[in-house]
Amino acid sequence: MSDNVSLGKLFKNGIFGENPVFRLALSLCPAVAVTSGVKNGFLMGVAVMFVMTMTNVTVSLLRNFINPKVRIPSYVFITATWVTVIDQVMSAYQRAVYKEMGLYIMLIVAFAIILSRAEMFASKNKLLPSFVDGVGMGVGFLLALVLLGVFREFLGKGSLWGAQILSSKPLLIMIMPAGGFFAMGLMMGWLNWIDRKFFGGTGASSGGH
Amino acid sequence: MLKITLPLVVIFVVAGVIMAMTYQQTYPVRFQAEKKEKEEALKEMAPNATDPIKPAGTWNAENKTYEYYRATADGKPVAYISETAGKGYSSFIKMLVSLGPDMKVNDVKVMDMNETPGLGDQVLEKSFLDQFKGKALTQIVLIKGETKENIQAISGATYSSRGVTNGVRDAVKTLMDNYGAGVNAAAAQGVTK
Repeated sequence: MSDNVSLGKLFKNGIFGENPVFRLALSLCPAVAVTSGVKNGFLMGVAVMFVMTMTNVTVSLLRNFINPKVRIPSYVFITATWVTVIDQVMSAYQRAVYKEMGLYIMLIVAFAIILSRAEMFASKNKLLPSFVDGVGMGVGFLLALVLLGVFREFLGKGSLWGAQILSSKPLLIMIMPAGGFFAMGLMMGWLNWIDRKFFGGTGASSGGH
Repeated sequence: MLKITLPLVVIFVVAGVIMAMTYQQTYPVRFQAEKKEKEEALKEMAPNATDPIKPAGTWNAENKTYEYYRATADGKPVAYISETAGKGYSSFIKMLVSLGPDMKVNDVKVMDMNETPGLGDQVLEKSFLDQFKGKALTQIVLIKGETKENIQAISGATYSSRGVTNGVRDAVKTLMDNYGAGVNAAAAQGVTK
């Protein structure tokens, strides 16, 4: 992407145009695993957003230093370092938050979406665009997870964020892993339909990675 | 060759130093916080205790050492508490288990674990942990399917359920080995009277 693309457009790209879950179809495994509830999805989204932004910034700063032949181990190591630092600092100074989020943080090292943003964007762009791309992609991932969480928790448990709304559980399968794929597929198709119908887009262009 | 390797080595070394420094900075703070949390949790496990809860001994399982405690009120035992852990799906699930003087489970509290969010972390739910309340050692068996007598596994989280159940059973067994004789003696006395 060239320098003249406005930062606002770049930010929106992560949320709509190249939404990590619904468009790029990356990191579907955690997206299915944690979205059995809104709260889980939200916490995971926040953690990913943070790590992705940090990794993007670091990779962008070191982009001329890292030899392309060994870029993948470098990126993975940068991600792992950030994840470890965040985990340690949080567990010491933010006990209450850590109790809720600690489970998610360590998983992030292996997320495809983080590696892919480092590879496809941060390694070729300057600091500021990389930062914006990280935040935008993070928000896109967060929104996708929350959307899936709302859909699945409401249908599967009849509750939202742990608060019971319906007295019954309309579709128990939705909180099971299989229901996660159903929900994701339905939502992906639905968003593509909206895109084609109202915005003249072409829908998701690429398949899963 | 060096051109490729050197930057990688530099990144690894710098990252290693950063991680080590963070650990050094945060470890004492975390250690203190965990100690305080444990003290508070112990109090919660034995709300009737009036005397300070002190370690009464240790036991070992799978190369790990756990402490157990005797909680008293005016010198009389009101609860026996033990640390324990069970191997779940992706982590050791660390717990505190408290028994009443009748050697039945009073409470189970998960202190630390790293199970899969959305699946394994359901073992934290009250509906699962409450199953242990009032159970004796022989009843603490994991069952896949409906049960009132034993412990019902959470569907989709069998390994995690098993970890908790095994951990609780080990703790109950240890506490019974150490304090159960008194209960049996008291029961025997009750019979003869």
